[in-house]
Amino acid sequence: MKPLPPKSTLLKSLTSTLAALPAYQVGQALADAPPTFTEVGLRYSRYSEDSLKDSDVLFGATSRYDIDIMQLWIEAPVGASWSVALDVQNDHQTGASPWFVGIQQSGQPGVIMSGASIQDNRVEVGVTTRYFWADGNAGFNVTHSDEDDYEALSFAFDSAWNSADNSRTWSASLSSSHDTVAPTREAIPVFIEEEDLDTQSGYFGVSQILSRTALVRLGLSYTYSDGYLSDPYKFNDQRPTTHERVALSAGYRQFIIHADAAVQLDYRYYGDSWGVDSHTVELAWVQSLSQSTLTPYLRYYSQRQADFFSVVADRSQDHYSDDYRLSSFGALTAGVRWAVTLGDWIFEVQAERYRSDTSWGLYSGDAAPALVDFWRGTVGLTWRFD
Amino acid sequence: MGGPAVLCLEYSDSITASPNNLLDQAIVMLNRLEARYSRYRDDSLISLINARAGSNTFTPLDAETDALISLGDQLWRESNGLFDLTSGVLRHVWNFQDTSQASPEDLKRWLPLVGWDRVEKDHRGIHLPVAGMEIDLGGLAKEYAVDAVIDFLRRQGAASALVNLAGDIATIGSQQSGEPWQVGIRDPRCSGSAISVELVDTAIATSGTYERALSSDGRVISHLLNPKTGLPTGGPESVTVIDRHCLTAGAIATVACLQDMSGATAWLQRSELPWLLIDPEHRMSGPIADTPRAAHSDDRTPETTNSPDEHM
Repeated sequence: MKPLPPKSTLLKSLTSTLAALPAYQVGQALADAPPTFTEVGLRYSRYSEDSLKDSDVLFGATSRYDIDIMQLWIEAPVGASWSVALDVQNDHQTGASPWFVGIQQSGQPGVIMSGASIQDNRVEVGVTTRYFWADGNAGFNVTHSDEDDYEALSFAFDSAWNSADNSRTWSASLSSSHDTVAPTREAIPVFIEEEDLDTQSGYFGVSQILSRTALVRLGLSYTYSDGYLSDPYKFNDQRPTTHERVALSAGYRQFIIHADAAVQLDYRYYGDSWGVDSHTVELAWVQSLSQSTLTPYLRYYSQRQADFFSVVADRSQDHYSDDYRLSSFGALTAGVRWAVTLGDWIFEVQAERYRSDTSWGLYSGDAAPALVDFWRGTVGLTWRFD
Repeated sequence: MGGPAVLCLEYSDSITASPNNLLDQAIVMLNRLEARYSRYRDDSLISLINARAGSNTFTPLDAETDALISLGDQLWRESNGLFDLTSGVLRHVWNFQDTSQASPEDLKRWLPLVGWDRVEKDHRGIHLPVAGMEIDLGGLAKEYAVDAVIDFLRRQGAASALVNLAGDIATIGSQQSGEPWQVGIRDPRCSGSAISVELVDTAIATSGTYERALSSDGRVISHLLNPKTGLPTGGPESVTVIDRHCLTAGAIATVACLQDMSGATAWLQRSELPWLLIDPEHRMSGPIADTPRAAHSDDRTPETTNSPDEHM
């Protein structure tokens, strides 16, 4: 038989639409293709901690942190096999934080607050480039974070690749960061001038399509930090200089066709070299509506306290802390997210309530008086264009 | 997939997986594609898109589905609207199991639901604007499945293979003996081959009336319908096209069958591919008819392309 003639103009026109499919690629294929559109997004979040109860405060104001978070991102395809993304985030925080915990006249522990209202601003800029090939993609990210008293530079490499039948996706990432803390606040006495922290982290995960309506994923991460890990703004905080963390995560997605909705169930186990371990369970319902998606969710978290935590720090030990974040507690989060698509625009709004209590946890422990409750609200606007 | 499936594989040391493993994986691929694109399955992606017609809810598209629908869009443009992914609803107008004519009332009811130009498709996915509209990828999905299995076998190291899904055929290399793969093009009016062709690293697809033709008033009427009028096309009885891929061969052949005779010939010439056209008077024309391998209906060939355009 005669060889086929070169592709006609008609055939070239037809096959141009098939370039993303492996079966129609010559040589290096591009099954995992970069986005076909440019996305620009702006999101504002406000995080507001509830004031402490008067009975829990030994000295200082009862009001706590408020943080205004502004995020801007742009992601665009570059050529046939690359994409580039820029993420910028600005956090502005104001308020007071617990300085240390003492004993009140009643015999109950009470918080001494940091006193004058603290103001701090953090700017984080990240750039990610991503390359797409036949069965996967790989990205490289550089992020720099800067605030008055803290600077961090991190590098991350991640990759995801698919099985031959596209039913399984493996993913892995490695990251490294170097942080420098140099406390500047004059409202609280601090005892260090400048300290460093190095952190390395690795992740490996797999997601498997079980059926056309079900997907499961598993992930394992390991993080190692070496350096200054204490909180310089807490009076009684002397933590080990190394910190190993392991997290195991699992997720299940079930699409329910007749309801045009999906159920998402996620679990995460976390354990570290400080004796903290925790369990997180989240259940979400993703409901498709006309031109929008409504996602109510509920999250439960329970944590076991660090070995060196005590409600009132014991400074006679090598390591000690009264930071409520290292105590035993349980927490519930309830939230809802609504995303509306109008042409090329996606408008999203999200509200979330977080409450914590020592008695809600799976582990026993003394109640830290500064356990936090907060509200978080988010509005965002995304614009996609070809 | 609406027909028999044949996989011929010349096993060699270059293939790492066992034959059974290869076959199992190929079947998984085919089942996945059928489950995704079959309009006969209530839980398929196509059924979800159709169920959301008129709801203003866009269905996001994965890269694979997006590419297939984009090919349908391109075929609609290139064929001046004769190839239309939304024309499947016209099956309600014509009952190909009997010889009755379509009623004007039925045409009036179903024809307004046809119109690819009204389908909304962008980065959000796809949305059919009118309740009752449907898209049907059956005309592309089977040919795509052939190409996907061939691509899979090629990646596994196969140097000699043939895949035949209900008459849509693609090959890798030649037979182990070195001889090209022999494929017969079925005669639309009998069970034998009208002609046979040799394939090496190529694919072949046929579109035509075959089983679903109906006779009314003594005429043979194509089951292929003009999406603008809702009436059967008066074009070729069958068209066969050879290309590198089964999907493009099938698409070229299908659009040819949607045209009148002169339009079909012009379209096939535009493709610059080998083709065979059998007209309603059973006359053959095209480059394939002129090849030395032309054979008559009593020829025996191992595989036959007849592609009755069964939908997945």
